[in-house]
Amino acid sequence: MGYVAAIALLPAIAFAILVPMSNRVRNKAVPVSVAAVVISLALSLLAFAQVWPGGHGGEAVYHASVTFATLGSVDLGVGVLLDPISAVMLVVVTLVGTAVQVYSLGYMHRDARIGWYYAVLSLFTAAMLMLVLSDNFLQLYMAWEVMGLCSYLLIGFWHEQVAPRKASLKAFLTTRVGDVGFALGLAVMYKTAGSFDFQVVLHDFAWAPAAATTVSLLLLFGAMGKSAQVPLHVWLPDAMAGPTPASALIHAATMVAAGVFLVARALPIFEVSGVALTVTMIVGVTTALVGGLLAAVQHDIKKVLAYSTISQLGYMFVALGAGGLVAGMYHLVTHAFFKSLLFLGAGVIIHAAHTQDMREMGGLAKKMPVTTVTFTIGSLALAGVFPFSGFWSKDEILTILWHEGHYVVFALALAAAFVTAVYVARLWFRVFTGPTQSAELKEAHVEMLIPMGVLAAISAFIGFGSPYFAQFLGHEGEWPAAAIALTSMSVAGIGLALGWWVYGRRTKVINTRPFKQRAGFVYDALTLKLYFDLTYDYFIVRGYGRLAEMLSGFDRVVVDGIVNGAGAVWRSGTEVGSLIDTYVIDGAVNGTASLIKAAGAKVRRIETGHIQAYQGLMVAALVLLMLWFVVKGA
Amino acid sequence: MLLSAIVLLPLAGAVVSALVPKDRGDIARWIAAVVTAVDLALVVFVALRFDVGAGMQFVENVAWVPQFGISYHLGVDGISITMLALSALLSLVAVVASWNMKTKPAAYFAMLLLLEVGMNGVFLALDFVLFYVFWELVLVPMYFLIGTWGGPRKEYASIKFFLYTLFGSVFMLIGIIALYLQTGTFDMTAMVGAGLSESFQWWVFAAFFLGFAVKVPIFPLHTWLPDAHVEAPTAASVLLAGILLKMGTYGFIRIALPILPHAANQWAPFITALAAISIVYGAALAFAQTDLKKLVAYSSVSHMGFVMLGIASGTVEGLNGAIAVMFSHGVVTGLLFLIVGMVYERTHTRMIQDVSGLSNQVPVAGGLLAFASFASLGLPGLSGFVGEFLTLLGAWKSDVPAVWVVIAAIGVLLAAAYTLSMVQRVILGTPSPIVSKITDLTVREVSLLVPLVVLTLVVGLYWNSLLRFTDPAVARIVELLAGA
Repeated sequence: MGYVAAIALLPAIAFAILVPMSNRVRNKAVPVSVAAVVISLALSLLAFAQVWPGGHGGEAVYHASVTFATLGSVDLGVGVLLDPISAVMLVVVTLVGTAVQVYSLGYMHRDARIGWYYAVLSLFTAAMLMLVLSDNFLQLYMAWEVMGLCSYLLIGFWHEQVAPRKASLKAFLTTRVGDVGFALGLAVMYKTAGSFDFQVVLHDFAWAPAAATTVSLLLLFGAMGKSAQVPLHVWLPDAMAGPTPASALIHAATMVAAGVFLVARALPIFEVSGVALTVTMIVGVTTALVGGLLAAVQHDIKKVLAYSTISQLGYMFVALGAGGLVAGMYHLVTHAFFKSLLFLGAGVIIHAAHTQDMREMGGLAKKMPVTTVTFTIGSLALAGVFPFSGFWSKDEILTILWHEGHYVVFALALAAAFVTAVYVARLWFRVFTGPTQSAELKEAHVEMLIPMGVLAAISAFIGFGSPYFAQFLGHEGEWPAAAIALTSMSVAGIGLALGWWVYGRRTKVINTRPFKQRAGFVYDALTLKLYFDLTYDYFIVRGYGRLAEMLSGFDRVVVDGIVNGAGAVWRSGTEVGSLIDTYVIDGAVNGTASLIKAAGAKVRRIETGHIQAYQGLMVAALVLLMLWFVVKGA
Repeated sequence: MLLSAIVLLPLAGAVVSALVPKDRGDIARWIAAVVTAVDLALVVFVALRFDVGAGMQFVENVAWVPQFGISYHLGVDGISITMLALSALLSLVAVVASWNMKTKPAAYFAMLLLLEVGMNGVFLALDFVLFYVFWELVLVPMYFLIGTWGGPRKEYASIKFFLYTLFGSVFMLIGIIALYLQTGTFDMTAMVGAGLSESFQWWVFAAFFLGFAVKVPIFPLHTWLPDAHVEAPTAASVLLAGILLKMGTYGFIRIALPILPHAANQWAPFITALAAISIVYGAALAFAQTDLKKLVAYSSVSHMGFVMLGIASGTVEGLNGAIAVMFSHGVVTGLLFLIVGMVYERTHTRMIQDVSGLSNQVPVAGGLLAFASFASLGLPGLSGFVGEFLTLLGAWKSDVPAVWVVIAAIGVLLAAAYTLSMVQRVILGTPSPIVSKITDLTVREVSLLVPLVVLTLVVGLYWNSLLRFTDPAVARIVELLAGA
């Protein structure tokens, strides 16, 4: 089964082929990248099929590793671990990756740097697959960072404009705040358990609760950065400055879910801690609510989807915090498909409407049938409507919360589901119904529509696999309980209805601010993103800038001042010495002013003159010393 | 004889270059190129024949002044071979980078070769007198390189560099003499495990600390570095950052730790604190700079802080990591200075606000500068990450206060901040008026950078390419520290 490694290596090879090319050649070599990801998809399906029957009780089917570093008695390796979780992730990543790459052939075909775009997509795919296949936390971390680079490059893809440039920097730095925690978590893990290997850290080593809590919380902090959890969520909405298909792949389906994947992998440590699980749940439910509320006031269609992603990732953290590995992973999978679908649909809409502002859209349903149908499926899945996939995974999360007795979190999660339904309706009715505002709306190219169709089909039907997914991961699988299913359906239904009531009934006049009129203060707070960005910008970003300036002044005036002061004291010392020499000693003999003048000139030459003297003296002293030793020795 | 050849060949080259007529700079540069290339080949030969399991190898030990225990003693172990390789490689790079030197070329290339003598010698010497001679020898050519071929404030910068580091080495000399008086020998290897008393160790360590700390440089003894870097010609900057700074940390690893292990343990918390401060202080100052060279110079203070962090940890991970940072910083900072120099030759400015949009105007230069930047900020898969991560790992594993390790880890974030804000302003965006007139790198320039790029990738992807040399040597030092 050595081919499993090839799944990750093929896109890496594609990257290595594309990078050294000149821009013009690279633009023509795009098929290299597409071919790599398609083959990876085929191999991933093969790997999945080999794990599929029963999932082998959650155990690894294939494992191989090579050492890349040796430290004393510790070997650090890079490995390939095929177990049910990684098998599922392989398929998700390569499937969405293929969809996005095919879609981009249409979406990006006029871009002057399309080759570079595909090169970075390839590197990203390789890193994500490497992360998924990791058999240890260090490898996971390294792949994680490389994904961060790709995210940075794609967000800033149109770097000639200011906004993408700023957004890419913000994304890299914000996620790196989390990465500091991740790195320290690795250090604690290494000191405590003496290894990064899953086998040792997750199975063999007996964790003490205190150490487990420290490691879990640090890893969680890393995951919060990557998965845009409050309060480290601020980078993701800005990241929408990148090309939309890249957002679909990286900032919706895969990379942002890596934090969830990390917590899922490390869940045995979290469970020893207990505290860490609670924290994970609180972070998750807060994010689910905050993300949902912020999504409800955005006018930019991509930003609605971005905040929606934040909110749904929060849902996954809630599930993991409740100990629900299956529910969390399942929501990751369904979300990956329906959210990438929504992003690809948004890309078509933006191309057609020539705007990202939903207030300038409307009536798309009449002109763009395929986009409308697929986008609707994605919307219903996101809102959690039966039988679309989001319903099933959300239901599993609610079920586990109820069963574990987390009633408050259950209620809050329901509230988040309600908000979700509202903003989904708000988006859908604004974009697809009402009067058409643009004359030249037309459906997208077929290479863009086919990937959307595939993702829509998956989003529509994958839900029925729900119990089998649990069995695949080695857990008991059940069909949803009627009571919870009905509750969540009702909540979603009411939310959608409310959304229609407020935003869907328009005929001519577009009322953009029904919410604003009724709850001004709340609305203002939400449009200002709950002050997160402002606070960070004022206190952290500008604060650091000011601090750096201050330290720079301190360095120049104080630290270097002391050095120069010492130099000056030394120089005036020699000056005095020199004056005494000439004035007192020579002066006593000659008593002429001309000598003083000469001395002054000599002093002025100190800067350049004395250095050679010191040097000469030093070398001479050394040579004499040597000679003396040699003579004495002879 | 091989090691002697590695040290003395550049000396012969320097003498011959110096004798070349003043108007025949082309002869001098060819001499320098051939000599440094042959020297590098000899080093590679040594590395290929090197037995990673054994200790000191290729040893040459001849009694020189037996009455005073002075010997001509050279040798390489896994630590010195990595530094020697770096020194030989960067010397060749420095020569090729200076190919178009017009001002007094004969003297210039002689100085570069003389510098290599000192650098190679420092990493090979196992006798204190010899070590001191090489150590001081390095100052002379570097002083002239900055003072003669430097920028507008070259006098100030070169004198500051010279006096500051001379000030440090006086303390080192005191330490050496004290050790001699106590042990009756100048042989470094003989002093290891000499049973020096604890208080004696403490005082001698203090002397060595001052000597080495200036060279590294550790906060607050770093202010000579930005001035020297800004004024130095490109090749001198490469060697200054790439090799000269490492002499200080090499001194800690080769001398202070094995000979004074008890004191090293006692000093570890203090050094850790200064290392952590150097990391964040250097990073914050780099963030505030408007001159590209100064930015790189302050980033060196930050990176060398990681080296000290690893050294102070006294662990296998930390010391391996320290050497990995030393190696990587040499290669990556070399890349950064070379590319900044190449851009400067075209734009005649190093001011960040004057340079923007490199990636659109000159994609090769912009791309390579971006590559070096990501290597510098510690992206996994490139060499910078290896040491940064291992030093943090080692520091956390050791008994030093955890708060300093956390501060050091924040340095990783700050590194991304100053590096990427530079990338954002200089590489990205639309070309500035000055940049829109320049042409991309020539084949010679690219071929100069490619070996460094390849090394960055090889070390970053396969850590054992470096660790296989250092790990066994480090293990011996860790054993000494643990036994003290």
